[in-house]
Amino acid sequence: MRLKTKIRFQDKFCSLLFLTIFFIPWVQAQTKVTWWAESNADRDPVFQKKLVDVFNSSQNEIELVMEFKENLNDILRTAMVAGEGPDIVETPGPSYVKEYQDAGLLQSMQTYSDKYGWKDLLLPWSYNAGVFDGEFYSAPKTYETMILLYNKTLFQEKGWKIPTNLNEYEDLAKNVKSSGMNVFSYGSTGWQPTHEHLAGMYLNSVAGPDNVYQGLIGEKRWDSPEFVEAIELLRKHMVDEGYWSGSLENYYSLGWDDFHAQFANRNAAMMTIGTWTFQATENGFKDISDDWDWAPFPNLTSNGGEPSFLLALGTTLSINGQSKSPDSAAKVIDFIFKNKALVLDMANDFNFGEFVIPLKYTSADFGDNVNPKVRRYLIEFAEATGKGNYGYTTWTFWPSEPGVHIWKDMEVLWAGELNAQEYMEDHEKLWSKARRKNATLPVGKR
Amino acid sequence: MFNFSKNITAWIFLSPSLLIHFIVVAIPSVLSLGLCLTDWNGFGKINYIGFENFYELFDDRVFKKAVLHNVIWTVIFLTIPIILSLTTAYLLTGIRRGQLIYRLIFFFPYMLASIISCQIWKYIFHPIHGVGNWLSQYGIDFLEKSPFALKETSLYAVAFVDGWHFWGFLVVVYITGMYQVDHTYYESAELEGATKFQKFWYITLPMIRPIFVFSLMIIIIWSIPTFDYIYILTQGGPAYSSEVLATHLYSQAFDRFNVGYSSAIGTLMFIYVLIIVSIFGILQKMGWNI
Repeated sequence: MRLKTKIRFQDKFCSLLFLTIFFIPWVQAQTKVTWWAESNADRDPVFQKKLVDVFNSSQNEIELVMEFKENLNDILRTAMVAGEGPDIVETPGPSYVKEYQDAGLLQSMQTYSDKYGWKDLLLPWSYNAGVFDGEFYSAPKTYETMILLYNKTLFQEKGWKIPTNLNEYEDLAKNVKSSGMNVFSYGSTGWQPTHEHLAGMYLNSVAGPDNVYQGLIGEKRWDSPEFVEAIELLRKHMVDEGYWSGSLENYYSLGWDDFHAQFANRNAAMMTIGTWTFQATENGFKDISDDWDWAPFPNLTSNGGEPSFLLALGTTLSINGQSKSPDSAAKVIDFIFKNKALVLDMANDFNFGEFVIPLKYTSADFGDNVNPKVRRYLIEFAEATGKGNYGYTTWTFWPSEPGVHIWKDMEVLWAGELNAQEYMEDHEKLWSKARRKNATLPVGKR
Repeated sequence: MFNFSKNITAWIFLSPSLLIHFIVVAIPSVLSLGLCLTDWNGFGKINYIGFENFYELFDDRVFKKAVLHNVIWTVIFLTIPIILSLTTAYLLTGIRRGQLIYRLIFFFPYMLASIISCQIWKYIFHPIHGVGNWLSQYGIDFLEKSPFALKETSLYAVAFVDGWHFWGFLVVVYITGMYQVDHTYYESAELEGATKFQKFWYITLPMIRPIFVFSLMIIIIWSIPTFDYIYILTQGGPAYSSEVLATHLYSQAFDRFNVGYSSAIGTLMFIYVLIIVSIFGILQKMGWNI
């Protein structure tokens, strides 16, 4: 009896010793990779469960720790400048990447990109937007575009059609207004840069993406007549015609919930907004009999033509220059890029308003659970941009100073204190300054 | 006589808070002042550029607008809330029953977080859900559009909301001062047949002068870095119509990455506050009872 106990004890002791020798060093050998992300109560649990937990259980080498922070940009900048911060650096767009990269606070990911073949996995424009001084520094975490949402039921009832040129656009606006509704629902309270959504749409739709590209690469001045005309047309539609929420003052006064309610309640026939809104729009129409749909924003010229999708990156991922585990951080990013199913599943949870990584999707990638309207958007976007039918958003391709000017000083124009020509002359001056300071952002060859 | 042992004890007790103050406030402030002579963008290399930021500032039309708005803001707060709170405090001293309830009511907005006060007033002036829309049904349409969204009224509308939150604080401060006034002065004045206004003007106001002047000083100083109400309600817009120095500074530092330039704005704000404090200090040295 005693011998048996002794043997059992010896067994247990040996097992414990075995575990101590082999298990503990293995635990200690795990490399910790930190990633700070902007906090969002709805999204954080999904990131934790579907990305962090899945990644950590998929291998034993790396432990991914995602920390969700309020006011990420401010905290991140302070930490990075102090030589600290996470291994994986999340920024709200290329203009931030440019500042970090210029300051030498990021590591080039070119070696990892070459090693893992990221260039082949990502949509070309999104890859190019991450190339600074010839090297790959930032990977896209989510992409978006501006679209025209409309109340499909209302349009069918009234016999309205999506406009394809400027005349049709203005005629439709007249008809909508005569029906006692606002043409578009939108507002800027709480987020002043909302104006740049409209500015970007008009610059591309009126002046055309080719001209915008010329402006971005410095081959065309921003005070050229095409751009002035675009900005003047936006001023006319906003201030004189009150297309957005009925008047400029209402546009200034309405916020996210207000303009979604206005659209769902038939107080406005359409809404000009980014694809980040899919979730909110779907929720707004959930309990009503009306249905919604989307269309690309038309070209606002007399001839019209095939509309373009504006390219925009929501957030980006880079590797901290001070990271002690850049290889492991790159493995995390690679895990994401090579798991299309995981990305699509998570993006679907956010109704494709977040974590829409610009991978090369095909229709076969989408399951039946994906909202058909969203699926159509993803496929059409990929097809159109693949054909070169794309334009440029200000928050992805404009350097910081002209990028702020486009929305902040737009109000001065709308207040009548400047005309469109003067406004664009000021804009050109800021672009010249940005070029002198080498602060322009990467734009892939068109 | 300088009592060394007594003073050293005081310094020992002061040293923890002094140390924290130096680390958290003084050193960063001095460093920040130094940044005004650089072109730092908040990320990378710091280059010395002399007084270039200041030359640029004096050509900056938004900066000039912001200075003007700060002056208007100061004038508003030196008049309306002070007149209102002095009057209210004086009237409240005459109330025997339920005075505490009044005090609480007036002080309540001061206890609210700025974000809550702002949301309340945003809803009140909301063009769809606010009182303006309701009043317009009866033909009263002056509030049909939110005053925060009109360039002619935005600054005054925000000042109104901030004033609404602030004046209760002044009521409590003044009422505390008024209670310190010896009651026999009022009794003598009453015997002489003084009116309520004469008692206020010739007894109350001179007797609470130190508190009154202190309130003027803090209003002038607090008006310079005013930020939260403006940022939450209008973000300085529309068309910079409510832009003040602090919102301009913030926009330069965090939207445009011009940290050196925003430090120049901060330096001028600091110099202004220093001048105000010095003036009050000099007046005190000259024997003014403040």
